[in-house]
Amino acid sequence: MGIVILLLMLVGVGLMLARKLPTAFALVLLAVAIAVVVGAPLTGENSIVDTVLQEGAVALAATMLAVLIGSWLGKLMEETGIAGTLVRKIVEFGGDRPTVVALGVLAVSALIGTVTGSAPAAMMAGIIGIPAMVAVGVPKTTAAGTILMGIAAGIPFELPVWQFFSTALDLPIDTVRGFMLRLFPFAAVFAILFVLVETRRRGVEHAWSLASMSERSAGGDRRRGRARQLGDAPWYALFAPAVPLVLALGFGLAIIPSMLAGVLYTLVTTTRPREMNKRLLRTLYAGFEVAAPPIALFVAIGILLAAVQLPGAVAALNPLVTALSPSHPVVFVLVFTLLTPLCLYRGPLNVYGLGAGIAGVLISAGVYPAVAVLGLTASYNQVFGVADPTSTQTVWAAQYSGVSPQQVMLRTLPYVWCVALGGLIVTAATQL
Amino acid sequence: MTAGTRGAPPPATAAAAREGGQARPGTAGAAGPGAPGVLDRLTPARRAALRAECARLADLDDAEFGVRLLAATPTHEGRDPALLRRWAEAAAAFGVGLAADRGTHGPAARVVERDGGLEQLLLARYVSRPAPAVELFTDTLALGEELADLLGWRAWFPPGALRAAAVAHEEAHCLLHRDPALRRALRGRTGHTALRLGRFRIAGHVAGADELTAHGYAGARCGLGRSPLLLTAALASAAGALEEARGQD
Ligand SMILES: [Zn+2]
Repeated sequence: MGIVILLLMLVGVGLMLARKLPTAFALVLLAVAIAVVVGAPLTGENSIVDTVLQEGAVALAATMLAVLIGSWLGKLMEETGIAGTLVRKIVEFGGDRPTVVALGVLAVSALIGTVTGSAPAAMMAGIIGIPAMVAVGVPKTTAAGTILMGIAAGIPFELPVWQFFSTALDLPIDTVRGFMLRLFPFAAVFAILFVLVETRRRGVEHAWSLASMSERSAGGDRRRGRARQLGDAPWYALFAPAVPLVLALGFGLAIIPSMLAGVLYTLVTTTRPREMNKRLLRTLYAGFEVAAPPIALFVAIGILLAAVQLPGAVAALNPLVTALSPSHPVVFVLVFTLLTPLCLYRGPLNVYGLGAGIAGVLISAGVYPAVAVLGLTASYNQVFGVADPTSTQTVWAAQYSGVSPQQVMLRTLPYVWCVALGGLIVTAATQL
Repeated sequence: MTAGTRGAPPPATAAAAREGGQARPGTAGAAGPGAPGVLDRLTPARRAALRAECARLADLDDAEFGVRLLAATPTHEGRDPALLRRWAEAAAAFGVGLAADRGTHGPAARVVERDGGLEQLLLARYVSRPAPAVELFTDTLALGEELADLLGWRAWFPPGALRAAAVAHEEAHCLLHRDPALRRALRGRTGHTALRLGRFRIAGHVAGADELTAHGYAGARCGLGRSPLLLTAALASAAGALEEARGQD
């Protein structure tokens, strides 16, 4: 029976890899198939309809809301020019030293990454940040990688991610925060190393390009049109991205109120009272659009988690998973470090896909303590967030820089692989 | 007009053979009057339109191109065009001064010739690693020569001058890249303030100023009659027209 479930998972991965089905749809189908295979009843307790579909769909509701508010705050920061102003200031201060500019953009990306993460953060930091880096001589692949490594350095402090791991792995927020604080140094150090090593290795690049003089350059026009309505944000508004983090990390406030405080701070520091209502609603609705893909995914992940945690599924998978999972700490680190690439290309260890289901199996089978599974998935998340050539932020950053996502993957993978290794060592040392 | 004072560099085909670049022999040098060029692919009407477009460009003054370049550079969105003009003029003048200072000896960066510039909309590129090198895109250079003929801009851009300007331009990037004092001097010249606290003032970097310095330097070193950016703008128009023509084939 366990084998059948694993085969189903393989088929699911195949469908996602071949792009036959969007990840969210594939996960829901997989969940229903698993529930059917393990003989769950149609309705009632531990059933397909009531447990898997109904309870599963809303299981990650808190995460969905956190993602939505993060997107709202992101839109607000974009519209009020906070992100753009941060990048502009960095170029003004460090502009003739490409490494300094790249480090600054890295820091801004990390800060913005704590608010929304993934594609919205990449766009917010990258729309001005990438061409600004290229303009001061940073090569394109390094520029794209800098944005992604920066966002990944912010992931350990991304509040919606805390909420996700807390709900999906059934851990208190405090525990999640504790591990993330230990993961952050690895993410930060390797992000900085990426910039220092890559700017040294690749040097600077200056192009005499026709694009700058092209009147038809649509990208330039769009950028200019967009920025004209923005202008500079006042200096005290630039602290906005840090507000939720300070409240949640420094004062231990709950996640959703912390993020709402960020929305409020941004609004008050940038907007005249008469325009507040309009701007709030406009950015909120725009936030829905930005948050739609991750929210759809979280609905599907909740459903998949509910399916793999059905008693029948746990009983079927338990012996298999127990036999396959390394228990010795050193073997644990070695095996899971080597398996890291399986989180790329929508692979089976991708945390925002089948990987969440596997994490659920690991926990319900009781193979590892939930904190160890947190360590495993959070470490993989650092890799997936940067180097997966099929993830939206990587595709966007690469294309906007004019390189291929695969180039970005090859350039960044060694660094994020080291981050994952660090996270796995911490996990094994403290939890096994 | 000081056109042609620096003497024409060797034809691109000979240089390509010397450097072992990827130039297609015969195309880069095919720039003389009457030689078949890529612009022949355009319909006569489209060619006339291109000529009119470029004539309008030629009517603008050189600083205007600097303003356009800065305006298209990120971080300058929404800045006052008058301010951009002041920066553009200062940066270009800095490049002219630099060309006068440096005499004849520039840094010895390797020159490599490449093809495929028009696809990427590139004319030349300076890379500092693995070894400092100036990459020249021969197809773009050849189109530039063809344009100078077509538009009757030979007095401003004599044969071979664009290639020399490209080398000089990237040479300026190399100079700036190697010399922090020079970069500081450029920052002082553009006079942008990033932060002011009472009497204390931090000079801010103007993104794109180095590019305009490089163009000013190249124009002065090669004795061009107009800013290299004029020909760049014309090249951008021509590349757009060729792209359209390809789409209609
Ligand atoms: Zn240049």
